[in-house]
Amino acid sequence: MNEIKEFPVQFGSNGSLLGMISTPAEGHVEPVACIFYNMGGNHRVGPRRINVKLARQLAQLGVGSIRFDLAGLGDSGPVTGSRTFMAQAVLDVQAAMDQVQDSLGVQRFILMGLCSGAPSSLEATVADPRVVGLLQFDGYAFPGRRARWERTLRRALAVPTNPIMIMKTVRWIKRKLSGPGAIEGEIFTSGTLADKAKVFVDCMNIVAERNIPTLLLFTGTLNSVDRHLDQLGPFASEKFAKHVEYVFLSEMDHSLTSQATQRTFLKVVGDWTMRAVHGVTPAATKPAPKSESSPSGFGALTAAAKPKRTAPRAMATSL
Amino acid sequence: MTPLHFGQPSRQLFGLYHTPEKNSDLAVLICPPFGQEAIRSYRFFRLLADRLARTGAAVLRFDLYGTGDAGGVDLDGDFEGWWRDICTAHDELTRYAVGRRVVWLGSRMGATLATIAERNGGCDPDRLILWDPIFDGPRYMDSLRLAHVEALERSYFLPDRAWRRRLANEAEAYTDEVLGFALSPELRQQISSLVPAALKAPAHRTVVLAAPDDHTANKWAHSAIANHAPLRLSSFRHSLDWTTDPNAENPVVPGEALQRLLSEINE
Repeated sequence: MNEIKEFPVQFGSNGSLLGMISTPAEGHVEPVACIFYNMGGNHRVGPRRINVKLARQLAQLGVGSIRFDLAGLGDSGPVTGSRTFMAQAVLDVQAAMDQVQDSLGVQRFILMGLCSGAPSSLEATVADPRVVGLLQFDGYAFPGRRARWERTLRRALAVPTNPIMIMKTVRWIKRKLSGPGAIEGEIFTSGTLADKAKVFVDCMNIVAERNIPTLLLFTGTLNSVDRHLDQLGPFASEKFAKHVEYVFLSEMDHSLTSQATQRTFLKVVGDWTMRAVHGVTPAATKPAPKSESSPSGFGALTAAAKPKRTAPRAMATSL
Repeated sequence: MTPLHFGQPSRQLFGLYHTPEKNSDLAVLICPPFGQEAIRSYRFFRLLADRLARTGAAVLRFDLYGTGDAGGVDLDGDFEGWWRDICTAHDELTRYAVGRRVVWLGSRMGATLATIAERNGGCDPDRLILWDPIFDGPRYMDSLRLAHVEALERSYFLPDRAWRRRLANEAEAYTDEVLGFALSPELRQQISSLVPAALKAPAHRTVVLAAPDDHTANKWAHSAIANHAPLRLSSFRHSLDWTTDPNAENPVVPGEALQRLLSEINE
């Protein structure tokens, strides 16, 4: 285990973004760093300080990281201009990668998208070839008809014997009545469900074509069981679904409320991250399909040519 | 705003110094709560500090050891270490804000720790503002335990009825971790031993901001006033929910709380 060091950085336009870099104090530093940022309204330390815990765990294993606040959140300055939240978030994530590149000399990154951070981390992965790994924690979810019916049934059966369910059911009905387009796991995007589904599938297929290791991690906040890729619903047969690691953990909750769920999160995500860094995730061990849009195959991690950056896709601004 | 690490190498604290934008003789040290309450109120204090700096105050916000971006882990938290952190932060602020009078704004456990630090720490604030202070540890722990179970119930698709039963039947249940933060045996003992009589009234000018139905804080303040402490009690209701997650269902930065604190600090 390495000793670690941490130092704050201010970056982005006018230095308005604030982050904290964690890195091994000395010795070998892996050529991949992790990018953590906000989940909902929490500041950069993450829910229950989980970003700090994971950043320090990874730094002890030789992996550097930055945890930072998007514009308008935590200690970062306000959003300027008229970009959507999504478009601004993608730019902020790219600025964070620039900063880590300057500070640690690392040119490859794994994005840690938690909840509201999942859609923007997916967009940033598509937009920037420096991204070589992607975590989506309770991000986009499209449970199909069967999964939704089962979920409703379980909820209904629990109501008579579990008084807490009455309160939850009332909240659920209110959400259902709040109009179309409201789906679980998203609060920082807009558009119809069909819009979001298209963005998700298009982006995930690009990520799969580029052979970027991806972990889709879902929790017991969404359901109590998962038969087979339930949160992907109608997209479970898309080509990207064969590429991703899909993990559903009913014992873990979305907010990581208990120490036990945090330990599980740190183990599952920590192990996956180290496998991605060392190129042994399922995606990384498969040869990348030939594709013109695959500038950053994970296998090319240590011998990557100078990455070419693209502007955030138009799709990002239309979310 | 300048981010900075400070304190002993073995006990590194992290803070954010807000440079005053006008001339004034005021400096403000924000003494935060711990655990979920610190996370919940983080953005609030950021914006409060911005506003104060605009009116000329030098402001330091910081994370107690084992919290936020400071060094250490959950289990490193304890009263003595934390009130000494307040004094360390006070000294750091006075290095930047030479010659200014320093007001401490403590909220929740941060207010309690500020009260202890003021009497024990050898640091010398000009004035204290104690916002929703914790003077009754056992009652505070009970409120955290309940909030923990409510958070579990909100968060899981199918809540487990056993959580409520445990809460009702086991006095020690959910005392070793609350709302995602582990508590050391030492800290648990310190919280359970915290009673109003154990806290001496500050020797410096102090205002206690508490809701009218916070009987413990009201009683403590009345007692201090009766004993001629330089203390004022001021009724304060607000809509900041200390223990929930920051989300769209509750205000992250309630305007009425921001205005009231600005007014108290700039009295």
